[in-house]
Order: sequence, then C-alpha cells, then structure tokens
Amino acid sequence: MKIIIEPPKNAEEDVVIIRCASPDPQLISMLLSFQTAKTDLTGYIDDRIVRLNYQDVCYFEANENRVFAYCNSEVYEIKYKLYELEEMYTPLDFVRCSKSMIVNMEKIDFLSPLFSGKLEANLKNGEKIIISRQYVHNLKSKLGMQEGE
Amino acid sequence: MAKEFLISLLHYFVDITTAVLIAAAVFLTASGQQIESVILWQILLAGFITALPTAVLLCFDPKSVRISMALWVTHFMLIFAITVIMLKMFGWCRITPLSVLLTFLAVVFIYFFTCFVHYLVDRKHTALMNQQLKKRYIQKEKLLKAEQQSEHKSS
Repeated sequence: MKIIIEPPKNAEEDVVIIRCASPDPQLISMLLSFQTAKTDLTGYIDDRIVRLNYQDVCYFEANENRVFAYCNSEVYEIKYKLYELEEMYTPLDFVRCSKSMIVNMEKIDFLSPLFSGKLEANLKNGEKIIISRQYVHNLKSKLGMQEGE
Repeated sequence: MAKEFLISLLHYFVDITTAVLIAAAVFLTASGQQIESVILWQILLAGFITALPTAVLLCFDPKSVRISMALWVTHFMLIFAITVIMLKMFGWCRITPLSVLLTFLAVVFIYFFTCFVHYLVDRKHTALMNQQLKKRYIQKEKLLKAEQQSEHKSS
C-alpha cells in the first residue's frame, strides 16, 4: 500500500482520504480509533503537575494500585487505570506487554528471547522490560505478523 | 487466552515427549532391556501429564524475580515428583536411590532440552519481529522526511 502525505491547500482542514478497491475494515477501525483517541496526558511528579506528550512515554507500569508513566529520564504518576490507558493508547503505538505494563513500540530498540520463555524488550533509553508470553501475540499483530509466522 | 494455553500445551507436549523418547532410547540402549509397545503410550501420557503444569506455569505473570524463581523451582520439583510416581506406576524400574538419581538427571536433561528448544524457536520469532520493527522505523523515517520536504516546499 502506498502512503502519500501532502500539505492541504491554503487554510483547508487536515483530511485523510483512503483510495482503495474495497475498504479494509482493520484500517477503517484503526482510523476511527485514532480520530477518537484521547491523547492528552497529565503527569504528577512531587508537587508538580506536568502536561505529557504520550510520544515521550516509554512505558506505563501499574504498581500497588498506582500507575506510572516512564519517560526517558523521569517517572510521572498518572491518574488513570492501566486498562483505561490500554483503551486510550492501543490504537496508537502502545501495546500491552504484561499484566502490569503497556509499552510504547516506538521506544523499543530490539527484542531478545529469554531462557524462561519470556521476551525482553531493549528500549532506546537503555532500559529493559519483560514481555510476557501471553502478550507476545499482541506485539506480533501490532507488527503485522500473522499467528504462527 | 484458552487458545494460547492450548497452543502452549501442545508445544510443550511435543517437546517433552521428544526429550523423554531420547532419554528412554539412551537408557534402553545402555541397559540392553527389551520393551513392550505399551511403553510408547506411557511415554505419550507422561509427556502430556508433565506438559500440563508447564503450560499452567506460563499463565502466571509474576512481577518479582524471587516469585518467578520460586515458581520455576516448584515446577521442577512437581515435574520430578510426577516422573517418580509414573516410574512406580508404570513399573519402568524399581525405586532405588540410584534409579531416583538417574530419574533426577533425566528430568534435568528434559527440562533443559525443552527450554533450549523453546529458546531457539523464540530466537527465530524475535529475529522476525526485529525485522518488522526495523521496517516500521524505516517507513516512519521516510514519512517524516516526505512531510518535512512538503512543508519546506509549501513555505
């Protein structure tokens, strides 16, 4: 599939046009999710409240009923439940990688297998996180790989 | 979830049964014993019974390394106990300190064989996934460049 990005003429609103023989339901649902996705995020660190760009988040982690957003160097508390963040950001580049974690795929440098049957995601900031076996298929489908490939 | 459990169970059943067959072939060749065909069914059953707790173990997703290690040790002990019980049940050999020691070594071999086979399969999968990740980054870079160029042109 060819992807063309061109600037709108004059002061026209941004528009997405899909030109295809038959609309792919997966693509349509992805675009609809993107349109409705809530991307603004508020992070809490010490006494400060910070507006976060979701693209700066490496991963979200739930720990003792609290959820944290791990950015390159700082960790912010987020007032959302992990399943809410999953609903909000899965249409974007985030994927559930374990019971307590959602990772930003854009921050994964490479993956490596572990002897215990789990996978390890080496992030671009040097951190390593574990991908549980039951969630590997999420990552595979996000990468466009079929089951059993 | 149920589908993944069944797939995992099937994979471990195949790997464990292969490892048990290798261990049995080595043992029977070394001891020079003749066997009845029923042992093949017993090996299949042993493979299934030991694959079951293995597939269940992978359903747990502990956060701490200590709990994870405790689970693996419990799993190993459980597999060892099941194997000794089957040894007695099927009458494969008499329970003596030597046979228990040999069974322990066989279980260690089967354990590492299965983990190693899964590690090799995972390595192949992660290589494919890394390729897809790379493709994704290259595509994103191209899109960004195109976007920058069109912005540059329009300005």
